[in-house]
Amino acid sequence: MVRKLTMLATIGLLVLSTLAGCAGGKPETKPEAKPAEEQVIKIGHEVALTGDSSMWGQSEKNALEMVVEKINKEGGVLGKQIKLIAYDNRADATEGVNVARRLIHQDKVVAIIGPAQSGVAIAVSSVTEPAQVPFVATTATNPKVTVDNNVLKKYAFRACFIDPFQGTVAAQFAYTDLGARKAAILYDVGSDYSSWLGKYFAEAFTKMGGEIVANEAFRSGELDFRAMLGKIKPKNPDVLFIPTMQKEAALAMKQARDLKIKATFLGGDGWASPDLITLGGSAVEGSYFVNIASLEDPEIQDFIAEYRQRYKADPVMPNPIMAVDALYAIVDAIKRTQSTDPVKIAEALAQTKDLKVLSGLLTIDPNTHDPVNKPAVIQGVKEGKFVFVKKYVTK
Amino acid sequence: MLLQTLVTGLAIGGIYALMAVGYSLVFSVLNFSNFAHGTVIMLASYVGYYLLTSFHQPMAVAILGAVVGAAGLAVLNESLAYSPLRARRAPSLYFMISAMGTSIFLENMVYVTIGSHFYAYPEVFRHQTISVLGSSLGVLDLFALGFSAAAITVLHYFLTRSKLGTAIRAASYDMTVASINGVNINRLVKLVFVLAGSLAGLSGIFMGFKYIVYPTMGWITNKAYIAAVIGGLGSLPGAVIGGLVLGLTETLVSVYVSSIIRDVFSFSLLVVLLLVLPTGLLGKSLEEKV
Repeated sequence: MVRKLTMLATIGLLVLSTLAGCAGGKPETKPEAKPAEEQVIKIGHEVALTGDSSMWGQSEKNALEMVVEKINKEGGVLGKQIKLIAYDNRADATEGVNVARRLIHQDKVVAIIGPAQSGVAIAVSSVTEPAQVPFVATTATNPKVTVDNNVLKKYAFRACFIDPFQGTVAAQFAYTDLGARKAAILYDVGSDYSSWLGKYFAEAFTKMGGEIVANEAFRSGELDFRAMLGKIKPKNPDVLFIPTMQKEAALAMKQARDLKIKATFLGGDGWASPDLITLGGSAVEGSYFVNIASLEDPEIQDFIAEYRQRYKADPVMPNPIMAVDALYAIVDAIKRTQSTDPVKIAEALAQTKDLKVLSGLLTIDPNTHDPVNKPAVIQGVKEGKFVFVKKYVTK
Repeated sequence: MLLQTLVTGLAIGGIYALMAVGYSLVFSVLNFSNFAHGTVIMLASYVGYYLLTSFHQPMAVAILGAVVGAAGLAVLNESLAYSPLRARRAPSLYFMISAMGTSIFLENMVYVTIGSHFYAYPEVFRHQTISVLGSSLGVLDLFALGFSAAAITVLHYFLTRSKLGTAIRAASYDMTVASINGVNINRLVKLVFVLAGSLAGLSGIFMGFKYIVYPTMGWITNKAYIAAVIGGLGSLPGAVIGGLVLGLTETLVSVYVSSIIRDVFSFSLLVVLLLVLPTGLLGKSLEEKV
């Protein structure tokens, strides 16, 4: 009997610990009855408010609320107030589709800001296309978010750059700013993000006249990169491009320095987490990576100051910047069409040209719905901190 | 280049070996694969991390803490998850399932309580390397190899020269006969777990220094388990050799064939090896264990 009770208690504990991991997931903002429906323009927000990506999601929501309040104080858009309706999608594709359905059919939003993840954004477009409601993804960099099999999705847009551009920026920075002529790549063969970014970098770098001296791969979850690094070392590259997430990048850099590899390390936006410095320690000093936006960008200091004053914390980069860019693009489209019809908003979004947004000037390519010449930020690591190096627009 | 590759392979193999010995030790006596071993290694790594960072203890204290903590955990694991099964003479499959359950349970407990963050140990060995014939030897790797070799040697002498070691070896052949001859099997099993746990503690602290600390880091023990199988489950020298063979094969394949097909290559090799030598390199069925 006692044994059975112990077993039951253990099972109970297991269930509890599992449940504790899945807590949350309720809509954050409930639609309210007032102000009067016709006096407001409803804009949806697809965002991860719980789970691993919630630190970015919550910061996105804060930033949007702050900016929407400001627009409303200045008289709103077309004489109407903007109302932001945010639901948690937990960075999950299924949940993302549910959220999009609720925003479109129940709340009748005119456009949606988000989601942030490429996988979720691709899933969401299956709802927004037939419903003819546009969404502007914030940080989804995969080309398939807006164009699939050479077919343009009419209602899918994004505020951030795409991976081919990111690879080109990294290559240009390596070639022109770092003066590198020999580059090595260490990528994760189990990740689309990593392998494609590595490929785009290699293409751009060789086109400029540089040489890829080594192209080594590892499997996701790898902890020891010394075999691949040992192969890279004798080639003596000027830069080592590591287009992976922060954990693998930090470990690889540590081991590369242990092996006395002298190359400058270079990465993509997957590095953009403070974890990179905590995990990489002194090995990540002097490395650079391409990011979508940076806290230190001189052009967004007013926004950062306002955010800090209101929330007593720094915005978690780069999502708040991209979300506000998306909001500005939607507001601009509404103003230009003088209408809140989602179809017209989508048409206007595709025609966005030289619009002043937080990250610079936004022009949307009508053929891909991606931003044109979107500036990328190069960040560096100096004395254990991320520093702004330069803003980059490829030619 | 070849020397550097061999050095890297040995350093990786050394870690596999240290972990593989823990598997083999438990297998030799209880005849089951203790899949919770990796989780104990992970927890030991956390113990070491907190002793070094939150409690600012010197490295010796952190190593000792991780070893003692892991030994305690291993014994607790045995008392809660395996001892009741042993009392009921359950088949070894049940032990294995209980081990997997314990492992998943502990991993999730870490997720719920500590979280999924990655942590790094303080940089004690800050990119210190010794140059030998143009190859870079990591000081940490040397330290880890030396320490592992010492620990495994001490264990070997303990098992072959001491009375308790003889009892363990006797039990590994036949528990019933050993118990008839006056060996307290319960205490003996606890001792085996203390030893396996101590090795897990050592592995955990090396993993922490070498890599990073996070809840699923115990997965690497899958490779250590495979190393133990290559060497012959239940054989300690086999576990060491298996670990080194796996580490070297992986590194040589990565360098001279392709890093992408490394696992395909080394695990095909494992399958072929097991087809030729079903009990691994040094395993001799149940005739000669430990």
